Amino acid sequence: MKIYPYKRLNRPIALRVTSVSLRLPDGTRDPLDISAFSTQQQTVALGVAGDAWVSARIGLSATLPPGSTAADAPWSDVRVLAVLSDGETNVRTSARLRQSAPESKDWIGDIDVLRDDHVGRASLEVYAVATVDDVAGRSIAETDTPWVVDAMANEPLRGLALDIQQVDFRKSSREWLRPYADAPWIVDASGRVPTVYVNSAVEGLAELLGSRSGGIENKVHELLVTQMATDVWTAVFHSAVGDLEIEPDGSPVFPTDWQGEVLREMLPYVVPDVHVEEALRTVHRRRTGDAGWVELQTRIHFAAIRRAEVTKSLAGILRGLVQMNQGTES
Amino acid sequence: METGEEFGPWLARQLKLTGKSQAELAEELGLTRAAVSAWITKRSIPRPTVMQEIARALGTDIGTVHSRTTDTQAGLPVTWYHRPGYPDGGRDGGNAAAFAFEPDVQVLARETCQNSLDERIRENGRPVRVRYTIHELTGEKLAAFRQAILWDELQPHYAAVSANAAHQKVGRVIDAGVRDMFENGRLVLLRVDDYNASGLTGDDYDDGRFAAVVRRQLESLKSGSSAGGSYGLGKATLWATSALGLVLINSTLSEPHEGRTERRVIGRLELPWRTVDGRTCAGPAWFGRPDPESPAAEVTRSFWANPETVASLHLTRDGDDPGTSFLIVGAQDVAGLADDDADGGKSDSEENGDDTRDIRAMHRRLVAALGRDFWAAMTGGGNREPLLETSVRTLRNDEIVLEEERVDPANEEPSRTRALRAHFEGTTVERLTESGQVAHRFVPLDLPLSGGGRGTHGRHQALVLITAAEESEEELNQVHYMRGNLMTVKKARVPNLPLGTDPFQAVLLVGRAVGDSVPFVNEAEEFLRAAEPPEHDRWGQTDELTLRWSHSAFRRINRLTTEVNSAVKDLAARPKSAGRRPGGEKLGKALVLKQSPAAGSRVRTGTGRPDLQELSAEIGPAGEWRVTAEVKLPRGVELPAMRPVAELDVRSGPRPRLAWAELEAVDGCEVEDGVLRFVPGVGRATFRGSTDVESHPVRTTLTRLVLELRAEKGD
Repeated sequence: MKIYPYKRLNRPIALRVTSVSLRLPDGTRDPLDISAFSTQQQTVALGVAGDAWVSARIGLSATLPPGSTAADAPWSDVRVLAVLSDGETNVRTSARLRQSAPESKDWIGDIDVLRDDHVGRASLEVYAVATVDDVAGRSIAETDTPWVVDAMANEPLRGLALDIQQVDFRKSSREWLRPYADAPWIVDASGRVPTVYVNSAVEGLAELLGSRSGGIENKVHELLVTQMATDVWTAVFHSAVGDLEIEPDGSPVFPTDWQGEVLREMLPYVVPDVHVEEALRTVHRRRTGDAGWVELQTRIHFAAIRRAEVTKSLAGILRGLVQMNQGTES
Repeated sequence: METGEEFGPWLARQLKLTGKSQAELAEELGLTRAAVSAWITKRSIPRPTVMQEIARALGTDIGTVHSRTTDTQAGLPVTWYHRPGYPDGGRDGGNAAAFAFEPDVQVLARETCQNSLDERIRENGRPVRVRYTIHELTGEKLAAFRQAILWDELQPHYAAVSANAAHQKVGRVIDAGVRDMFENGRLVLLRVDDYNASGLTGDDYDDGRFAAVVRRQLESLKSGSSAGGSYGLGKATLWATSALGLVLINSTLSEPHEGRTERRVIGRLELPWRTVDGRTCAGPAWFGRPDPESPAAEVTRSFWANPETVASLHLTRDGDDPGTSFLIVGAQDVAGLADDDADGGKSDSEENGDDTRDIRAMHRRLVAALGRDFWAAMTGGGNREPLLETSVRTLRNDEIVLEEERVDPANEEPSRTRALRAHFEGTTVERLTESGQVAHRFVPLDLPLSGGGRGTHGRHQALVLITAAEESEEELNQVHYMRGNLMTVKKARVPNLPLGTDPFQAVLLVGRAVGDSVPFVNEAEEFLRAAEPPEHDRWGQTDELTLRWSHSAFRRINRLTTEVNSAVKDLAARPKSAGRRPGGEKLGKALVLKQSPAAGSRVRTGTGRPDLQELSAEIGPAGEWRVTAEVKLPRGVELPAMRPVAELDVRSGPRPRLAWAELEAVDGCEVEDGVLRFVPGVGRATFRGSTDVESHPVRTTLTRLVLELRAEKGD
C-alpha cells in the first residue's frame, strides 16, 4: 500500500487520444484515420501507414477527476503533463497540456513521438501536478491505465503478440537454427519480443497450422496449438525469471517490458495467494537459493498449462471426438 | 380589429342559433322581409343605425355585430350531446383504437408530436412549437373547472359506467379515474399545444382536419407525401391517456372557417356503452353548441368561444399563431408509475413527501421521450431551422412546480445530434481523423419500377453519417434510419463488427432527409412510406408495397441495409490486418500477452495469507513515518508470521528500505524481532509502527511510503 505525505485527488485522470497525424520525410503531414487508435484498447498503432514517417503528433484530451479546481483545494498552480515513456529505449518525453477553458476539468494538447526514439511500445500517461504544502511539482492525480503507443503495430491492439516465423531450419540464413533441423518448432526468447520459429522443413506442419478446415484435422490443429503454446509459455517464463535485474539487497526488480507481462500473467499460478512482487521474490529465492527450485517446476508447468488454456481446448477436442464417433456409428 | 366574417352568412347563422326566421327579424326591425333577405344573400348591408337595432334584436351589443368574430351568445347554450344507442341494440360503438394503447405519456408524446410535425406550416420555414403542460388542479380551481365542463351533466354517465365497471376493462379504468378525482380531490390536466401548425380547419362534419380529429376515429388526413400519418390511429392516444376519456380542444386556424380563426372549441368524451335515465348511449359524446340544423337540434358542434370561456376551460392559447391545443382531462401514465415503482420508491423520500411526485415523474418522462424520439426533428444547423421545438412545464393550481424546460436533443442523443448538425452545416468529412468529426458516405437505393415491372426506375443516393459515440450513451453501434420527417423509423445494430471497434453512432438519411437536390428524392420518399407499417417502426414488406410495386420490392430495402452496414464498417472499423500471419490464426491468438489491468491480480487458493487491509500514515514531529495498519486474517489455517516492510517508492531502481524505530502490536498479534505473529482464531489484527529517521535517505515530506507484509523466509 502506498501513502503520500500530502493531499491528493483520489480518482484517476481519464485520458483520450483524439487524433494522430504523421510527419513524413518530405515534411508533409498525414492525418491517420481514427481507426489507428482505439479507445477501448487504449492503444495507438503508428505503424498503420508503414515505416516511412519521422514523427507522430498525438492529440490528447484529459479529464481531471472532480475536485481538481475546487476553490478550497489544498493545492495551487495545477499543471497537467502528458508523459510518454519507453521501457526499452529509456526515452521519456513530456508535453504540457492546456486547460480547454478556465475552471474546466478538460485539458487538451498534443505530444510528439519521434520515430527514432522508439523500437516498439511506449506507455503514455498523464499527470496532474501542483504546488502542495509549498512544494511544487507534486503529482495529485494520474491516469490509472496508461495508453500504449506502438511505433510498429498496424493495428491498435493492446495485447502484445509474440513473433512467429516460418522458416526451413536446414536452409535458413539463421545458422543457429540448423542444429535443430529435427525439431518442428523452437522458441527464442532472447530477442526484443520472444519469437517462435516454425520449421517449414517438417512437411505438412505449416499447412496444418494455416488450415481452416473442420473435422479431425481441426482437432489435431487445436491440439498442436495448445502443445506449442504450453512450450512457449514455459520457455518465456524461464527466460523471464532467469534474466532479472537484481537490487543491491539481492531482491529482484520487476521488469517493465514483455518479461514483466509474462511474469504478471503467470506468477499468480506459480505462487498463489500473494502479490506478484512477493511471488517474484519467492521464485527468485528458490531459483538462486539452495532448495525449492525443483519443486517449483510443477507449479511452473501448471502455470503454462493454465496460460495455454489446455484444459479448455482439450475438453472441446474430446467432446468433438466423441460426437464424431457417434456420427460414424449411427 | 380582427377580420370578421361577412355580414350575410354571419347573420344567417345567428338567426339559426336564436331560432328566428328572416320574417320575424324583419318584423322586429319594422322592415320588409326582402331587405333582410338582401343582407343574407350579400346583396346589401344594413345602415349603421339598423345595425344597432339588429344587435338589440339578437340580444347582443353593437360591437359583436360590427366585428362578427364571435357568435352572439343568444343561441342555444353550450352542452353535451351523447350519441344515442342504436335501435337495433348493436353495441359496436366505442373507440377501438383508444383501448389498444396503454396510457403512457411517452406514446402520447410520440403520436402528438408526429401529428404536429405533419401539420407544420411549411411556407415560413419556421419550426412547429409543441408545448406540454402538466397542470394539477385541487380545491376551488378543481371545482371551477368541473363547473366549466358541466360536470353535473356528465355525472350520471360516469355513474352508469362505474356501475358496470366490473364487466368492462374500460369501465374499470374510468371508474378508477373518477374515484381518484373525488377521493384525492385532484385532477391532472395534460395540455398539448402546437404553434405554427395548421389548426383544425374545415367543416364540422365534412372532410377536413376538424372532422378527422373530432368526428372520425381511424381516418387519417395527411398534409404531404412525407407525412408520418397524421390524425390517424395515433390521435386515439389522446383519449387513451385520459382516465376520464375526455379531451377538450381549442384551435386557432391557419385559414378561416366561417370567417374566423381564433378559439374554435369542442370537447369529445369516449365512454363505453351505457344506459342513463332509460336512454341508451352508444359511446362518444361532444361538448359544444347544439346545431339547430340537426334533428331536434341535439347534435353539438364546435363553437367560437369568447376569451373568458376559453380561460375557464384552461384552453387559453399564447398569441394568435395557428395551431391546436388538446386538453387531456385526468391524464394518467400507467407505464410511468410502473417505472417509478422499479426505483423502489426512493424518489418519495427525496422530495420530502411532496405529493407532486407523479406529475414530476410525468414531466421527466415526457422530456426524455421527446428527446429520444424527436432529436432529429429538433436539430437544426447552418441556415436550416429545426422542424420542431418542444418544451414541457408543470403547474399546480396555476403555480409553477417545474419551470418550462426546452427539450435539448443533445441531451438524449449527443453524438447523433452532432452528426446531423454537421450535415446541415456542411462540415462532414470523407474519413474520420479526429474524434468528434462526422464522416459521410453515400449509399445507393435502387428504386424498382412501379406496377410489378422488372428493372430499376432510378438510383437514389441515401446518406450515412457516422461519428464516435459519447461516453454517456447506451445502445452503441446502431444506425438510426430516417426519411423526410426525421423520425427514427428503425434502429439497427451493425452486425459482425471486428473486435475492438470503438463505439460509434450512425444515422441513415434517405429521401427528403438527404436534401431536395438529390436524384429521385420524391420517389424514394414515396417508396419508403409505402414500406412503413402503421407503427412506423420498420421498412419492409407491406400490402401497399406489393400492390404498387411488386412482391420482391422490399428486397431493395434489404439491399440498402447491407450497403449501409458495409459503409459503416468501412468508416468505423479498422481494416483487418493485411495478409495472414505465419503460423496461422489459431496459434497467433494463443500467443498474445494480454496486458490487461486484470493481469497480476492474485489467484486465491482458499488457504490465503494475512494481508494489509487498512493503512493510515502520517509524518511525525521528528520526520518519521508513523503508520497504523490493519491486517485481514484468513480463517481456519495456521498463519505464517509476516514481516512488515516499509520502503520508499521510486520511479526506477530498487526501493530504499526504511528501518523500524518502533513496532508494536495493538490487537490480535504479537511483535517479535520485527515479525508479526498472529493470535489464532481472530479475524483481524492491528499494529502500529514508526520508522527510524536515521534510515531515511531524503526528507520525509518528499517521500512516498510503501508498506508491505512479507512472509518470513522458509515457506
